[in-house]
Order: sequence, then C-alpha cells, then structure tokens
Amino acid sequence: MPELPAPVYYFIVAFTVLNAVIGMVTYVTLLERKFAARMQSRIGPYRVGPHGLLQPIADALKLMMKEDVVPTLADRGVYNLAPIVFLIPCMLIFATIPFAPGLGVADLNIGILFFLAVSAMEIVGLFMAGWGSNNKYALLSAMRAVNQIISYDLPFIFVALIPVLLTGSLRLGDIAAAQSGLLGAFIFYPIIGQLAFIAYIVTTLAAENRVPFDILEAESELVAGFRVEYSGMKFALIQLGEYAHMIATSFLGALLFLGAWSGPGPAWLGPFWFLLKAMAIFLLVTWVRWSFVRIRVDQILQISWKIMMPATLLLLMATALWVAWRSGGGA
Amino acid sequence: MAPDAAPRGFLGEVGNLCRAVFLAMRSTFINFFRKPVTVHYPTVTRDYPDRFRGVLALTYDPQTGEENCIGCRLCEYICPPQVIKVEMLKAEKRNFAKTFTLELYACEFCELCVQVCPTDAIIMMKSFDVATADRRELLFDKDRLHAVGQQFDPSWATGNLLRDMQSPPKPAKTAEPAPGKAAGTAE
Amino acid sequence: MTDPEARKVIEIGYGGSERLTMNMGPQHPSAHGVFRAILTLEGETVAAVDAVIGYLHRCHEKLSETLTYTQYPSIASKTDYVAAMTSELAYVRAAEIIGKFEVPKRAQYLRVLVAELQRVASHCLWLGTWCLDMGGALGGGATVFLYCIREREAVLDLFESLVGARLLYGFHQVGGTRYDLPPGWTQKCRETVAHIEKRVDEYEDMLEGNPFFLARTQGVGVISRTLAQEVGISGPLIRGSGVNYDIRRMEPYSSYEDFDFKVPVETAGDCYARYRVRMQEFRESLKIARQVLDGLPEGPISSRPGVKSVGQVRVPKGEGYARVEGARGEVGCYLVTDGSAKPYRMKWRGASFSNLSVLPHIIPGHKVADVVAIMGSVDPVFGEVDR
Repeated sequence: MPELPAPVYYFIVAFTVLNAVIGMVTYVTLLERKFAARMQSRIGPYRVGPHGLLQPIADALKLMMKEDVVPTLADRGVYNLAPIVFLIPCMLIFATIPFAPGLGVADLNIGILFFLAVSAMEIVGLFMAGWGSNNKYALLSAMRAVNQIISYDLPFIFVALIPVLLTGSLRLGDIAAAQSGLLGAFIFYPIIGQLAFIAYIVTTLAAENRVPFDILEAESELVAGFRVEYSGMKFALIQLGEYAHMIATSFLGALLFLGAWSGPGPAWLGPFWFLLKAMAIFLLVTWVRWSFVRIRVDQILQISWKIMMPATLLLLMATALWVAWRSGGGA
Repeated sequence: MAPDAAPRGFLGEVGNLCRAVFLAMRSTFINFFRKPVTVHYPTVTRDYPDRFRGVLALTYDPQTGEENCIGCRLCEYICPPQVIKVEMLKAEKRNFAKTFTLELYACEFCELCVQVCPTDAIIMMKSFDVATADRRELLFDKDRLHAVGQQFDPSWATGNLLRDMQSPPKPAKTAEPAPGKAAGTAE
Repeated sequence: MTDPEARKVIEIGYGGSERLTMNMGPQHPSAHGVFRAILTLEGETVAAVDAVIGYLHRCHEKLSETLTYTQYPSIASKTDYVAAMTSELAYVRAAEIIGKFEVPKRAQYLRVLVAELQRVASHCLWLGTWCLDMGGALGGGATVFLYCIREREAVLDLFESLVGARLLYGFHQVGGTRYDLPPGWTQKCRETVAHIEKRVDEYEDMLEGNPFFLARTQGVGVISRTLAQEVGISGPLIRGSGVNYDIRRMEPYSSYEDFDFKVPVETAGDCYARYRVRMQEFRESLKIARQVLDGLPEGPISSRPGVKSVGQVRVPKGEGYARVEGARGEVGCYLVTDGSAKPYRMKWRGASFSNLSVLPHIIPGHKVADVVAIMGSVDPVFGEVDR
C-alpha cells in the first residue's frame, strides 16, 4: 500500500467500493432475470447487446430519461427524501465487509453489529416512502413492511450471532479468518452450522421482502406496494437500495457461513471466491423466490414470532453451551 | 440438538415443510435444464399448420390466368362483421367484381367467406405479416388482395374443399370414396 | 330448506370512522378481466364487497338477432373466450334441439374431443393466473404461470392444426362441425395428451403439499353446501362444495354417455377443494380425450350440407334451452326462433355471471390477500359475465 494520508486513502477505497457495488447491482438484476427465465423455460433478455448484456444499461438510461412525477397531495419533503434515506444504509453496510484479508473500507471491531444496526435503518426510508406517497395502497404496504422487517430482524440478529459465538469476535475479518481450510467453513459445523445457515436464508428472504415473504409488494394486490408512486430516477434509487441490500446480505452470508475468501489456489484469488460464494447464496435465494407462492402477512408474522424466534434463540443458546463446553468452561 | 421441546406434531410439520420445499425447488431445478420454448420471432418463424387462417387474398385461375371472383357477393352477405363490399361487373361469358374492398382491421378471420365462395376465389394465406402503423393501409382493395395472394403461401382451405369436408356423403352411384372421406381426412 | 344466509339482504356500509373504502379494479393486475370490486376494509379485513360489472358488455344477445345461424357460432366463441369451444356448443345445440336436427356420431365425438381439450386448456390458464395472483408476477407464481401457458400452447397448437385459429374457433355449425381431422392429427393429439398428463404431475408436486400454498387456500372462501345450492353457482364451484352436479352426467349430450369418466367432488368448499376438483378434471378430461381418439367412428361430420349461403339454415318456430358443461360451469343458451334464418331472441346464461353472485357471501371476513385467492378460484371470465 503506497503511503497516502488517511482521508485520501479511505476516500479512494470507499469510492471504488461504492462504484463496484453499483455496477454489481445493475448486473445482478440481469443475472437474476436470466436465471429466472431459464427456470421458466424461456430466455431472459436477449436482444439488447449480445445475449442481453447491455440490458441493465438500457434500463438505467430509460429510468434516467423518465419524467419525475410527484403526486399533487404528496408530502413533498418526505416523498423526495425517502429514496435517499432508503438507499444510504444499504450502501453503508458495504463499508464493513472485508473483501480480502486487510482489503476493506473499514474492518470495524464491531463490524457485524454495525452491519445489523445500519441495515435496519432502511425501514425508516421505506415508511417515509409509503407515507409520503399519499396513496392507500402504499400506506398499507408500508405498514405491512414495517411489521415484517422488524419481526424478522430479531431472528436475523440471533442467527448472525452464531458465527460470532463460534469465533469469539464481532469483527468480520476475524470471523472470516477463523474459517480457514476446506472444511473449516461454519456451514460444515455439525448440526449448528446447517441449521443456522437455513435459518439465515429464511430470515434473509423475509428481511429482503422476497417471495414467499413479499406480501408488501404483492404485485397482484398492491401493485408495487410502497414504490407505487415512484417513477424514474427515484424508483431506480429504491431498486438500487433493495438489490444492494440483497447483495450485502449475500456477502455477509458468504462471510459468516461459507468461509469468505478461503478456497483453493493462490491468495489473490480470495476475492473471486468470495464473490462466487456470495453469488451462490444470491442464486439460492433467487431459486427459492421463483419457486413458491407467497403467504399472507399474518401467516408471515406467525412464522416469525412463533417459529423463527424461539428456534433461533434456542440455537443460539445451544451454540453458547457448546462453545462453553468446548473451551472447558473457561473464558 | 434441534429444539425438541414441542411434541411430535411439530417435527412432523417440519418434515412436511422440508419435503414440500424440496419438491417445489426440484421442479424448478428440472425446468432449468429444459430447452427454452422461446421462438426468436421475427428472425426465426415457426411452422404454421396447413389450415392456418391468415390474411385474406383473391386468387387467379392457374390455367387461364383470369380472376376467379365472379362478383356473386355471397362472401359479403355471410361476413358477420360485414367487412366485405363487392360490386358486380356484368360481362358476356361470366361476371367479375368491379370493386372488392375488405376491411382487414375489422375482420374476424372466421373463414366463412372462404367457405361460401363458389369459385374458390377468396382464400386465406399462411401468414399474418401485414403489420402496419396506419390503419388505412389495412383497407384492402382488389389489387392489394390479389397482390397478397401472390405474396404469401396459401393455406389449405378453399370453399369447395371445406364444403366437401362438411357435406354428408352423396348416395353411391359408381365406385365412390367411402363416406366421410374427403380431402384431409385420413383416420 | 332455504338457507337464511343466502336469502339475507346484504347491506353495504360505506361509512364509519375506521372503515376504508378501497377500489380493486377495473384496471388491476389481478382482476380477471374488467371487474370492479369496491371493498370496504376495517384494517386488513374486508367488511363488505360491492361488485360492479358491465365493463365488457358487447350486446351479444342483441347481436344474435341480427346474425343468422350460420354466422353467429363464430361470434359465440367470444363470450367465454378462454373456453371458446364450449361456448359455441351451447348456441349450436340450442338451434339443433329446436329444429330437431340430427348430429352424426362422428361429429358428436369430435365435439366431445375438442370440448375436453378445451377444458384442459382453460384449466391450464386458470391454474397459471391463480398462482400468478397468489405468488406474484415476480416470484413462484410467475413460474407456475409460464409452465401452464407452455402446456396450454401445446393444446392450442393442436387446435391450430385442426381449425386454423388458436383462440376463437368457429368450429361448430348447426348440424355438426365445420372441420374434420387432418392427417396425422390423432398421433399428435395422443402425444400432447401424454405430455400434458406428465406435466400435470409436476404442477401437483410444486403445489400440492406446499404449506405456503395450503395456508393460502385452505379454509379460505368456504361455500357451504346449502349456500351453493341456493345461490346458483355451477361447475367446479358447486362440485367443490359437495354437490355432485355435472351436466355431462345429469343430462348427457353429444354422446357423453359413451365415455367412462369420474366426476370429481370435494366436500370442503374452500379454495383448496375447488383446486382439487379442477386438478382431477384435468386428468378426467385427458382420459375422455383418449377414449374419443380410440373410438372415433367414421362418418360425415355434419348432417346438413356445407354452408353455401348465409340464410341456409332455417330453424322452425319454437323455443328451447341447451346447456353444456363448460370449464367454468353451466353455459346455457335459450333460443326463441320464428322459422326464419335469424333467431327472434337469444338469452345467454353465462356460467361466470352466476358464479360471481356468490362473492358477497364468502368474501367478507377475509383479508385483502384472500380476496385475490377467492377471485382466482371462482375463475370468472368477463366475456361470459357481461356478454
């Protein structure tokens, strides 16, 4: 690393990461569309660019060129701020993820705590969008969303804490380093690892408003939910935020359970393995998304409070007991 | 290790859920590897069957090169949305159609006009490719209908063939074909 | 004997401080056509529903007075445009009953064959759009939708090689059918039937034991047996509520008595029961199609000469009602004739129109998400409702 003053260094790194994230988000939409299309016996985007590779660019250009429509009776300040308040936490959480040992924007000591806390702030932006739109459908959807995301954040936190317990540190870099070797990944931990991974996938689906938990944007009832009054660039920002959050949780899952950058080959291949594992989790979530019908909001909440909460809590306690027993009752 | 505080029913439910999830995801997984059914129209077109009801056209007699249409107006009377307008032109040996307009934008493609035509003059083509941005171009006059007839492949159905297929068999005089066997039946 | 629930006058209360009046449709991704439901909500629960129809009224009944018996069958397909073959059949049979026209055996078998294939295609569309409503356009629902449309395309390809058209056919005429089978068609039909049977197994796999699906459909939209009999619904709706009523069995028409098939009946009366009924109807229809192909007799396809002029068919003076078991229920055509080439009056009994009358009884009390599931399981087609 060349010697640069700290602010300049961090600025460059943050700038690179943000741009990489935005680029990845646009192309991940294409990946999802082609993957989903193949599962449905059709081909996804094909004509724009070779095999549809320029489709995300075309979509972005189209969204930029659209007219910015603000409903007459909408609460202007809230309406205009909502996409930004939604987007910023989703981008901010990338700061804590280390892409290789030592290569990250800020490998905080309380990395995972920061991640979980900041990612929960998107709810504020979501509710602002629902309220500011002055639309019954949007409000209904925003209320459902707040309900759902808050209910699923708790199991999400408990599941994310399991690798923390197994490692003994909140720092994401340490958690990744503790999973060295081929079978060292936490997913291979007897029983705890697999159950925790499954619980992670389920809570991610719910926190992302993905089918089967996407009642808040049920196209057939609420027609895009809280986003219904947004068009053009503001809509693009909301989409960006959603997919960025999706990818961030995929990266987090790869880091917590699949061993981040460990993999065969030289050390500089680490980030590619990390990317591959994150994409694998993303594709798994996509696969689940395109296979199931959604369930009603009261059933979603029942699952959260009656099943996921006790299950993850018990799993956490079991992990804690196991760790204590393994380390001989010591610290 | 799993939270087993709940009675057997809970585990049974969990097992059920796992089985259902597995089946659904396996179904999508299998379909992932199937060949997509997409046909890349318009670079690739699919085979249209023989009886495809496409754009309407007027025909010429292959031997004499004359128009088949005798201006009898039977197609005009039978058309349910009344899109055909014909004026007859009387001549010595046979009649012709002086003008023949067909409003393709209102046509139902029901093939009734083809069915009633006594001279197989009006037929349908195996193509529908006359898309245009101006509806007035779909008001076909006689020249356009003849041009369409030369441009595309004709479909199987003509008036006489359809009527033969539908009519009950005539009483056998000499070695007639078996009842019901007309062009196109082979069961 | 009469169900007080069915006879009760339902008062819609629009006002009230906690009640929210929300409009669902006429332009809405899940209204099965143009349908407006004014929902009065308390929170997430529907307190009352007021259905507004008529957006697709195209004056079929008046139109039939201006068109002759040769012209109208191709228009009749446009009432229930998803299951066009059975729609035409009702009109043509009404004319044949009044005029006492014989229909040759081969034509009867062909009519049965296309009606059953049409039922398969219509149920494919039903399943696809229902799952689309429940699962979302970006989710598992879309997947099931595309699979079902893929199978429906196979049936529509069969119809295309038989008739030339994919959706609105003009296949029937008074006295028989207009088209006979082209060479090679029975082989293709058998292959398609076998292919669809396997795929129906796949759909059941995806949906059957799925707790998400069961949670959405079981106990939702229960039509009790007495309500079903009082309110005038028919088809899979009434068979899902325990009433064994299928016109193909009660008053067999067009040689249905020659075929061996079960009429599926379920007693639960909820959306899941109607789903089971229709899935079993898939299989039974495919069974009937195979039997028709095996036993298809030779012979003419029409007892009247091929249509040569517009006023060719004259039905003597009289009146009559013909009913067929369409994919959605009882499709009926009541015809009053006066001896000329055009009917004096035609009344169309659309299956979906009568089926929709059950909505104000079963929707209140459910959540908004259930409205969509119930509408889908009632499976209306608004061509039939509004005519």
